[in-house]
Amino acid sequence: MTDALRKHGRGLLVFAVAAYALPLLLAGNRYFAFIGGIALLHVVWTAGMSLLYGYAGLMPLMFAGIAGISAYAAVGLMAAGFAFWTALPVAALFAALVGVGLGLPALRLKGFYFTLCSLVIQTVITLAFVYFVNLTNGDTGISQIAPPAWFGGPLQGVGFDLVLATLAVGAMVALVLIVEAPFGRRLVAVREDDELAEMLGIDVVRQKLAAFFVGSLFAAVGGAFYAPYVGFVSPRSFDVLLSLNIWLMVAFGGRGTIWGAVVGTVLLAPLPFLLQDYYKVKDVIYGLLIIGVIVLLPGGILGGLGSRAAAGTGTQSPGLRRKEAA
Amino acid sequence: MPTELVLISTLFTGLMLGVIFSLVAAGVTIIYGSIWMPNAANGQFFLLAALALWSAAVSWGLHPVVAALLVIGASVPASLLLEQMLIRRFYDVPNRNVSYFVLSLGITQILAGLFSVTYGVWSDQFQIPPLMAGITFLGPFPVSNSRLAALVTGVALLAALFALLRYHKYGRAIRAVFQNRDAASLRGVNVRAIYRLSFVLGNLVVAAGGVLYAFAYSFDLSVSWSMSITAFAIMIIGGPGSVVGAVAVGMVFGFTQAIVSAFASPTVATFSYLGAMLLILLMKPSGLFAR
Repeated sequence: MTDALRKHGRGLLVFAVAAYALPLLLAGNRYFAFIGGIALLHVVWTAGMSLLYGYAGLMPLMFAGIAGISAYAAVGLMAAGFAFWTALPVAALFAALVGVGLGLPALRLKGFYFTLCSLVIQTVITLAFVYFVNLTNGDTGISQIAPPAWFGGPLQGVGFDLVLATLAVGAMVALVLIVEAPFGRRLVAVREDDELAEMLGIDVVRQKLAAFFVGSLFAAVGGAFYAPYVGFVSPRSFDVLLSLNIWLMVAFGGRGTIWGAVVGTVLLAPLPFLLQDYYKVKDVIYGLLIIGVIVLLPGGILGGLGSRAAAGTGTQSPGLRRKEAA
Repeated sequence: MPTELVLISTLFTGLMLGVIFSLVAAGVTIIYGSIWMPNAANGQFFLLAALALWSAAVSWGLHPVVAALLVIGASVPASLLLEQMLIRRFYDVPNRNVSYFVLSLGITQILAGLFSVTYGVWSDQFQIPPLMAGITFLGPFPVSNSRLAALVTGVALLAALFALLRYHKYGRAIRAVFQNRDAASLRGVNVRAIYRLSFVLGNLVVAAGGVLYAFAYSFDLSVSWSMSITAFAIMIIGGPGSVVGAVAVGMVFGFTQAIVSAFASPTVATFSYLGAMLLILLMKPSGLFAR
């Protein structure tokens, strides 16, 4: 554990300083500070996606759905009279367990089939958000979500930004500790060749399941904080495009690297806000970026996998490829 | 006799939707079977064809038949261009289906964004002028001749597709590549040329589906995503790469949608497709009609 922190200590220190400085520097302009807060929130999400996609080789398109379940659960619990700090762990744990429950059968599938299955699950979750109107208020969404209480007053403004900075730093520390632990190395073994990993005595499905639970927990904690920070949730806040964008941040920054996710988040998370005037072009730009990453930058900016990633691939073993070809 | 009316109307709608679903799913499965590209953008291609038809027939005022042929014909150079620019880069990449899937999601996002700033601004609902005037009575049930013509054309196209794949030498080469690309290559099939041909043929069939849909029903931009999901569900249940499976399951889905829509909301139909797809993925990922 200490080895892991020593190895990445400098990086974590720089990130922590930057994360705490950001809200303070932007404190003069509430709009920019809000964009900074959203970026910090996205760091929590991309840390989870980095664990799942970068290290475990899974591409879960239901990531946003899990965040959404947690957000709706937190809002529902707060509406029922619970404090945010009670609702947070309950909602996050609930959403992560639902995510594992939904993902459990899918985790037996590999590569494209897992991704497709997760897309279907995401679609079902989105439809459910629209369909169960009495729980979610349907397409209209829920607005005016009260901020959490914090030492007697409401948590808002710079205070909330600093809480999000703490959350982002915590997420990165957790990611470093997980990745550098034997568990993280087993995940990489599974990602690279699951048949070989199985032969070495690694229980592949169990590793994936554990990774999926932890990754879902990142998604869920981010979702629970999203609701009171933005003050509004709707089915569109947590649709498949959010999953794709979080994936894009990881892939763009560099999959399988600790800091790639952060680089990708810093570059891409503020984009929709800076393009506000060209709001509808946002989708086109994200689409072009996705294609650009797949075609030109399979290893991402930090190029973590280097020569091993031939072209944006590697979530399946050669063994499966042989089986599929047969 | 209202029950008879409901029965015939449901049957006709089921047949019409089934033919369109079958065409689109056949196109998707041809592309997946040959180049392993799970094209999530199929719904956008479908919508693109329908919107292009609307532009040609309404904005430019071309005769509907001319416009339809133009749109379906234009899909060929468009597919070739896309193949040249993006698709062929991955032909030799291992595990390319994941790359292709993500790539097609990117294409989906680009096209959706473009549609919303162009057609989305121009109109809410799109309607093509009828192919021909008049109404035919199927028992007590009146059908516009235009919709009837779309149905007949769709059935003819499906038959032509089957004939092509079964008897023509290109169709046989495509099926050989589906079954075993190495063996096909050893027997003198130019595998890369077949990849390109399959991509063009698959998109052509999807475009034809979009054109027929536009003739049969008025539509809006939201049809693309539900078509994508439906075509994927049909492909997975029918067995990826199986055209027979795509058509059989496509017809079942068409009738399911017609029956469910008569009694409940379309959301229920979508839920049931997705549920069926999940079940198949988990129980028998190779699909019902696996080759």
